[in-house]
Amino acid sequence: MTLYEGIALIQEKQAVVLDLGAHYTKFGFTGEAAPRCIIKSEFWCPMERRYKQVYDYNTTEELYDNLVQMLHLLYFRHVLVNPKERKVVVIESLLTTTQFRETLAKVLYMHYEVSGVTWWDTGRACAATLGVGTALVVSIGAREAEVTPVVHAAPLVHAIQVPPLGMQAVRVHLANILKEDNETELQLDDNVLEDILVRTCFVPSRTLAIQLASEGCNGVRSVVCGGAGTSVRVTGRARALAAEPLFERDRDMASLPDAVLQCLIQCPRDTRRVLAENILITGGGATLPGLKARIAHELRHLITVEPYKDQLHIKTFKFHSSPCEDNVCAWVGGAVCGGADGGGRAEPRDVYLRTQRLRDWACLLHNTPPDHHHRCP
Amino acid sequence: MAYLVQPDYVKYVCSCGQMKPITNLYFCRHCLKIRCGFCICHEVDSHYCANCLENMPSSEARLKKNRCSSCFDCPSCFHTLSTRATMVQPRQDPASGDAKVENKQPKKMYYLSCFNCRWTSRDVGIPDQPVASGGWPERVNPFANRFAQLMEYYKAIAQQEKQEKLDKERKKFAIRGNYITLTDKTGLTGAMARNRAGMPSSESTSSAIANFVLSQATEEVEELPDDYHSREVNLKMITTMPQRLASPEWQAQQVSRLQPIARPLSVKRSQRCRQCDHNLTKPEYNPGSIKFKIELLAFYHVPEVKIISYETIKPGVTSALLLKLTNPTAHEMQIQLIQPNEVPEIEEKEEPKNIEKSLEKSLNLEKDMSWKSVVERKPTLPSAIKVNNPELTFTLAQRDDAAEYDDDSHHDTNDIILWRKSNKLALRLQLTADENAKVGLPAVAVVALQYTYRNTVPPTSTQPRDHTLYTTVTIDLGIVSQ
Repeated sequence: MTLYEGIALIQEKQAVVLDLGAHYTKFGFTGEAAPRCIIKSEFWCPMERRYKQVYDYNTTEELYDNLVQMLHLLYFRHVLVNPKERKVVVIESLLTTTQFRETLAKVLYMHYEVSGVTWWDTGRACAATLGVGTALVVSIGAREAEVTPVVHAAPLVHAIQVPPLGMQAVRVHLANILKEDNETELQLDDNVLEDILVRTCFVPSRTLAIQLASEGCNGVRSVVCGGAGTSVRVTGRARALAAEPLFERDRDMASLPDAVLQCLIQCPRDTRRVLAENILITGGGATLPGLKARIAHELRHLITVEPYKDQLHIKTFKFHSSPCEDNVCAWVGGAVCGGADGGGRAEPRDVYLRTQRLRDWACLLHNTPPDHHHRCP
Repeated sequence: MAYLVQPDYVKYVCSCGQMKPITNLYFCRHCLKIRCGFCICHEVDSHYCANCLENMPSSEARLKKNRCSSCFDCPSCFHTLSTRATMVQPRQDPASGDAKVENKQPKKMYYLSCFNCRWTSRDVGIPDQPVASGGWPERVNPFANRFAQLMEYYKAIAQQEKQEKLDKERKKFAIRGNYITLTDKTGLTGAMARNRAGMPSSESTSSAIANFVLSQATEEVEELPDDYHSREVNLKMITTMPQRLASPEWQAQQVSRLQPIARPLSVKRSQRCRQCDHNLTKPEYNPGSIKFKIELLAFYHVPEVKIISYETIKPGVTSALLLKLTNPTAHEMQIQLIQPNEVPEIEEKEEPKNIEKSLEKSLNLEKDMSWKSVVERKPTLPSAIKVNNPELTFTLAQRDDAAEYDDDSHHDTNDIILWRKSNKLALRLQLTADENAKVGLPAVAVVALQYTYRNTVPPTSTQPRDHTLYTTVTIDLGIVSQ
């Protein structure tokens, strides 16, 4: 092996890009257009004799163990490289808990002894796939949708909206509809529900949705999923209305299009129009057929009604499409940027080991202006 | 077999504090300590295809993206695809007339077929191949082109930024506050922002930046067809999630667009002790062989404890526990049972600081031990059940594969030692459960073993050959009952 590795020593080792999602983990090399693997964020836990989710933890120690096992799986089963002395690009949400970040850093730097880590947030990584500096990124993930305005390649942290409207909400709603329509207590596995959602469900356009709401969903074809014995009748209602929780407006105005508009209101006046003309809808949830079109319809409708009519004077909404599959958009952004700078921006291992803490936007230690009297020397 | 299919009743405490069955543990002959998968360093040793058992050098594996060039998996059910041959009469070209009579021989053509789900490469319109292996059309990522453009663009920006930085340093504009904004933290952006705002950059912008076409936003979003909801859904034509994710580049949504998946390679791993950097396991290079060149498993070095039987544990009651001890080494072993708190703490020997050492430190050559603080933990051992250890030291004979043909000559059985057979021994122990032990909670007894170990590493002058070692074992005895 050492013979062949000789060539690699001359050139810089390709860094790996890690996007540890709530449901799916994307992992691969920088400079490649797609991740090497997209696998569920779970691993076989021999102690508990079950598949365990990475995000299923109560203590920091448990999280540490989960991450160690998950990364072992990724490095030695899928990407097949030594973690040691290789840089890592981590794609994370800006709202990742400090506990998670610090533990992940510990696992990477100290357990796997990687030589450097670059931290990228989802919003900027997604915008990077477009090449434009200013974009409004709507990333629909598993647990929540994140609306991040990125202006001149910097996320406006105060305007970020994170409604809990991810695919998990859709899945729960779908399970409820199926239960009502089949009139039995269905014990559907998460995987089965996902399968039904992905293969049969769609998001009707706004006009169709109104029509379905008044006339009922008899016009929508139903379909039977699954084999003999375990088959489930997926009614037209379930197919068309599964994603409705994303668009339900109650008095709180907590729907996904509302979140986009509220985000725009929070943004500085001079950026609003540019942002509205550079919207990117992405994330695993955006692959649902018709979802992007529906968000566009809803946005164009909502801008004409109160309270947005008076606050936002936006005429047009324009949408980007990223040069990759929607579910790997953030990963591809990390792969592009991580590959371009050659790992120059990674925080090296020895720097981390000195203080053993990460720089974070939420921490005043790093964010106090230099001449402020609270600034530590 | 019991270790594979049954829950782990007997667990050993690893030197890092993890509790694992003996089959999951390693034994470092140089540190004389038990190690486990959590506290050792794993390394990729060699790549191979698990289907054709072909070795692949790591540079080639990297080039082929860790995929075998001759084996394919079914994109529908992930079973291995087989190559099938058919005889095809070459189509006669009417224009050439009967000039090429000799070309009429039937030709062998090959296609891929799955014996599990009957998927074939013909289903998706891949033309048959004239050669049996290789030559299958390779698909390129539909976004590869745009991705390459992006990559070039950002590389140029990074380059430009680096150049500017250099210039700045040269001009001694070095005074810069350490106030970081998000823009600074991540980079790429200063130049991008300037570019965006149309400000002149100090250097002439390179052609890559100038020629790059930004993504254009459109007002139209792809809409579903109007009759989408009333169309019939044919689930057989829509791929499932695992099928899509098996090829992250394409993620085909239609069954008709599935393509054979080149089989991902597997690796053989070698494992290394983090403390002393010696190999714990090293596999043989040949992918067909499951043997090891170095194999320092705890199973071959640490006395094995197994439960024969036990009485139900009740609070405040003394009950019996029958254990079997086995000596796996090729040397006689003295074993004594002790209380877990009697295990001496292994103090890290402070090595004498000589000039060489301090030089190493100053050169930053000293061994990096930072992993120790996160990997090592203090195990929490339950103490509700007390094992009444006999004040006895047993001698266990060495492992001898021929011994089972011998008649056992010595039977020094008594009320503690039930029986002996070559390198095995059965013990009867008394357990006293605590009076306050809660009914219904798991009953776990903890025993510590003190045993002698003869090191087979070629001795150096300073190291003794015989060592007294300790290991702690937890024994799962069901639950505390009434």
